[in-house]
Amino acid sequence: MATVDSTVRAGAHRDRGADTAAGLSPYRLGLRRLRRNKAALAFGALFGVIVVLCLCAPLYADRVAHTSPNANHVTETVTVGGVRKDVVSPTGQPIGPTWQGRFLLGADQNGRDIAVRLLYGGRNSLEVGALATLLTMVLATIAGIVAGYFRGFVDGVLARVLDLIWAYPVVLLGIALGTSLALGGISIGPLHLEGNSLLVPAFIIGIVYIPYVAKPIRGQVLRLREQEFVDAARVGGAGPLRIMWSEILPNLSSTIIVFVPLMIANAILLEAALSYLGAGVQPPNPSWGTMISDGIRLIPSAMHLTFVPGLMLVLAVLGINVFGDGVRDALDPRAKVRLEEHAEEASR
Amino acid sequence: MTRFVIRRLISMVLVLFAISVLTFLIFQVIPNGDPAQRMAGRLSTPETVAAIRRTWGFDDPIWQQYLTTMKKIFTGEVISYTQQVNVLDQIWQDLPATLSLAIGAGIIWFVMGVLFGVLSALRAGHFTDRALTVAALVGVSTPVFLLGAVALYFFAFKVQLFPNGGYVPLTQDPVDWLYHLILPWLCLSVLFIGIYSRVLRSNLLDTMSEDYVRTARAKGISERRVLVRHVLRNSLIPIVALWSLDFAAVIGGGAILTESVFNLQGVGQYAAESIHQLDVPPVMVVVMLGAFAVVILSAITDVIFALLDPRIRLTGS
Amino acid sequence: MYARVRIAGLALVAALALALVAAGCGGGGSNNGSTSGSSSGGGQEGGSISVLMGTAPDYLDPQLGYTTQSAEPDWIIYTPLVTYRHAGGTAGGELIPGLATALPEVSRDGLTYRLTLRRGLTFSDGRPVKASDFAYTIMRAIRVNWGGKSFFTSYIDGAAAYDSGRASSISGIQTDDATGAITIRLTEPYGAFPNVIAFPSAGLVPRGTAMRNLSNDPPPGVGPYMYTQASVNRGFTIARNPRFARFGIPDIPTGHLDTIRVTIVSNTQSEAQRVLNNDADVFDAGDTLPPSLLPQIESQASDRFAREPIPSTFYFFLNVTKPPFDNAKARQAINMAIDREAMVRLASGFLEPTCWFLPEGIVGHPGNDARCPYGLDRPDLAGAKRLVQESGTAGTAITVWGEERSPRREYVDYYTDLLNKLGYKAQERIIADEVYFPTIGNAKTDPQTGFADWIQDFPNPSDFYLLMDARAIQPTNNQNFSKVNDPHIQAELKRLNPVPATKLDSVADEWSALDQYTARRAYVVVYGTETMPKFFSDRLNFDAAIFHPTYLNDWTSLQLK
Repeated sequence: MATVDSTVRAGAHRDRGADTAAGLSPYRLGLRRLRRNKAALAFGALFGVIVVLCLCAPLYADRVAHTSPNANHVTETVTVGGVRKDVVSPTGQPIGPTWQGRFLLGADQNGRDIAVRLLYGGRNSLEVGALATLLTMVLATIAGIVAGYFRGFVDGVLARVLDLIWAYPVVLLGIALGTSLALGGISIGPLHLEGNSLLVPAFIIGIVYIPYVAKPIRGQVLRLREQEFVDAARVGGAGPLRIMWSEILPNLSSTIIVFVPLMIANAILLEAALSYLGAGVQPPNPSWGTMISDGIRLIPSAMHLTFVPGLMLVLAVLGINVFGDGVRDALDPRAKVRLEEHAEEASR
Repeated sequence: MTRFVIRRLISMVLVLFAISVLTFLIFQVIPNGDPAQRMAGRLSTPETVAAIRRTWGFDDPIWQQYLTTMKKIFTGEVISYTQQVNVLDQIWQDLPATLSLAIGAGIIWFVMGVLFGVLSALRAGHFTDRALTVAALVGVSTPVFLLGAVALYFFAFKVQLFPNGGYVPLTQDPVDWLYHLILPWLCLSVLFIGIYSRVLRSNLLDTMSEDYVRTARAKGISERRVLVRHVLRNSLIPIVALWSLDFAAVIGGGAILTESVFNLQGVGQYAAESIHQLDVPPVMVVVMLGAFAVVILSAITDVIFALLDPRIRLTGS
Repeated sequence: MYARVRIAGLALVAALALALVAAGCGGGGSNNGSTSGSSSGGGQEGGSISVLMGTAPDYLDPQLGYTTQSAEPDWIIYTPLVTYRHAGGTAGGELIPGLATALPEVSRDGLTYRLTLRRGLTFSDGRPVKASDFAYTIMRAIRVNWGGKSFFTSYIDGAAAYDSGRASSISGIQTDDATGAITIRLTEPYGAFPNVIAFPSAGLVPRGTAMRNLSNDPPPGVGPYMYTQASVNRGFTIARNPRFARFGIPDIPTGHLDTIRVTIVSNTQSEAQRVLNNDADVFDAGDTLPPSLLPQIESQASDRFAREPIPSTFYFFLNVTKPPFDNAKARQAINMAIDREAMVRLASGFLEPTCWFLPEGIVGHPGNDARCPYGLDRPDLAGAKRLVQESGTAGTAITVWGEERSPRREYVDYYTDLLNKLGYKAQERIIADEVYFPTIGNAKTDPQTGFADWIQDFPNPSDFYLLMDARAIQPTNNQNFSKVNDPHIQAELKRLNPVPATKLDSVADEWSALDQYTARRAYVVVYGTETMPKFFSDRLNFDAAIFHPTYLNDWTSLQLK
């Protein structure tokens, strides 16, 4: 049921399985549907707010908390309600939320301001999530298109490589890579990353999720390449590269768009899991995962260390998950591509 | 059919081989991951370190070390670098905890996932559906170790309803065994319930608008009967496929986080500790076992589906 | 009926008599170790308890064990020729004869040690103990690659040849089974040699014991207790050795408890919880009490919880062979700036601040009269910053190495932040504990600074000064992380190391002077001595239980109330 659509670039034909209102581009239609989905918008806004807050981390640190994320204040005191209290008690118990400028949400065992670390940690977690997602989407799209288009030997090899990454227990692979890279960093040609660079966990998470995205894309490309417009392009003399770029890729765009929020959520969760196991973001840099991991050690005497980053993490991931759901519903309501079927393994 | 099975078997062996090589290489590449120095202890001399290297064959070329390790694994004589215990013995000891966790949680998440999915589909658009969807989404958005830690805090510290982690063997005390596993089962299941209920819901809703369902409805069959007889059977197929893969992954060490938080001393926790200690032999064995479980289960699932659905068999996808 | 009354009456009289005797014995227990047989402090004899260990012993095999977790059982199961007094504090560092009749006779040149084996000793399985068993034990320790075997191979004549396979026995150990005479010849005088043969790995095992790791089926030994079940990763059980009391070895107690069941738990949270709830009896002193439970423990169980210091030094090493710490002012600045109170808090109170490399309890620890050259408890951040500027090293990039586990990682978090406050550009590298020391001890890493600790192998200052000895620097597994090469230290060590361990007190002042010199040179930043948790259930007599500086909880002194 292909419909020719004049508002789309000539030469690229759309494959629409769903009904379209006459004349409107699928993106416009999707946007309309999305706008009507109040829940998705609300949660999307929640995620947006969290992102903005985290970006304002330096402002908060300077103006409100007057400290930096890694500055220790172990033997200092803070005045709460007229009473001088230790930031960290002589037996190592950190102070809880003071609801003031300094140590708004309390301190950790090194006397660092939790609120400041929360925001900087959010920056790190979101950065890792975004970079990982970028890496995954780019590589998975390439792999999926190449495998699906060429089939045969190329597909066989790629499919086996993807199977390999897929069969490897995700978290174990993450820990193994994380541990080894944390020790020595990686050197690929001229590029050298230090062990504690954020790019290392981003790299690992990015790689680990490639099969997750590549398989459905490959499946879709397998179907697409049988369509008449691809034949038409081939007959018209276009080479494989051009066909992949101009015919197939645009038709994948909605799939890709739908995957992005889901991948960001998965990446943030996997980063938290890796950091909990010590293979993610390296100390002393904060991330929501490392903060939760540190906090778990002090249960039950200092619950704020777990609750605060935990709540933030859940809200952020929930926000983007609901928003991503809404995007999926808006662009592809019949859900030809079953995203959840390739269940994310991160938080197991 | 036979050709299909053989093809899958061959690819399974290849994948296992590739995984073992990959694991081995990862550890070879690590700088300062020299096990001989670690085994020699803090006060050792270079001679001691050299002697250990010779005994364990660390000076051999990589491919030879790989073959030796693989041989040791297959003859059941593989020992770990730290404490030099037999890895297979250790895994055998840890397996009951992982199996108990996986099987119990597997049953719970399958049943609850299907239940919630069906409920959501039946009451699509209404409050129940929305509430379940939100719950599912929260479940999917919470890392299991956070959930576990918070659950332990509320139900093991504040209200001493459940024990603070740990595993009691079934043979030792069935009631205690159950008691220790309830929280881990629930925490591990939450994520899968969330996923499965949503997948089932959308599958059901899609199938319910198919032609043959419309026909059944037109014939006057009740909604519930339509659902159970005609729709559910088909929609369950992808769920079962997912379930077998997830179950295999949990057995193969994928439940690391749950095992760590609740300190169940299972296979996953053993693997995580071994990786951390850069202890190669246990990691290789666990990873291979896990991959084996995943690959075998996915192969069996594929075979069953091929038997059920000729289209798959013919196109080989 | 008359008979019954008479018997009842006799029983009553007997009970009264016993009660009188018990009351008489009550309060007689001293802390300096109970001698065999008598019940001190009004506790019951016999019974069984459970010990929880959060870290499994590295090995249960006596010739392989090298951690506190393995030493705790092994020292009361495998008695060596000489051993330590069963007492707490400095008294616990005193050498006493074990299976030998007396402390070794040392020749004037310090090269020959003579001992005689006691007569009539048998292993826990009944086999008689012979002098040649000692030689075999040392050979076994070398052959199975005990982590400290360099103590044997570096000093016993012929041991290195045996190690490399050039000899089939150790020529420097001569034994005579008929007389029980044992003569040991050294390659060079080594004052701490009596400490070396007091290691649990020198605890005698029968000749012919297999030369491989027997952790899951340990050999018999001579001691108050013996293994009845062993699984190195899960736990083990020890029971009183009925044969031991007959030997009448003075100063080695025969123990009160019948059996001790040790279980490995690997979750210190539940470990502490169980002891707090009296579900288990001993929280192993080698484990870290989870700080989250401390408030509860201190309020609910203060009568059965204490922090006991062990001779240990926690410090940050400063590599003096490269910038910025080749500059003395930079090193002094750090010593001025470090806030030891902060370190104590990071350790949840399990640290006693100090600035001296030789800890308290070791001969040579500078006493209270000596003043820390750069201050002890008044950190001077401003002054230190100025000193850093003066040194010209400000802005240098520094990589700070650290271990992962708490609180060591927190120490390094604090230290890195301190370096940054002082004007450096410091970054952390935290790596897994297992690989930490091999990594920083590797010349390829050549770290600038980082975490380090040293817990005594034996109570002898020369054990600690190994870390300051230029001769100890080696390309792999180096322990002199600061790469100290100081001629004065070398000269002093040359003089002081050969002094026999039995005569340490005579050179205490000289060791103290050396330690104060080392502190002034600021080769390291010492901040504390570790304290360990002594934490029991309420079933045990807490005050009478001995905490030994080397072997932690002395299980022979544990007694049910």
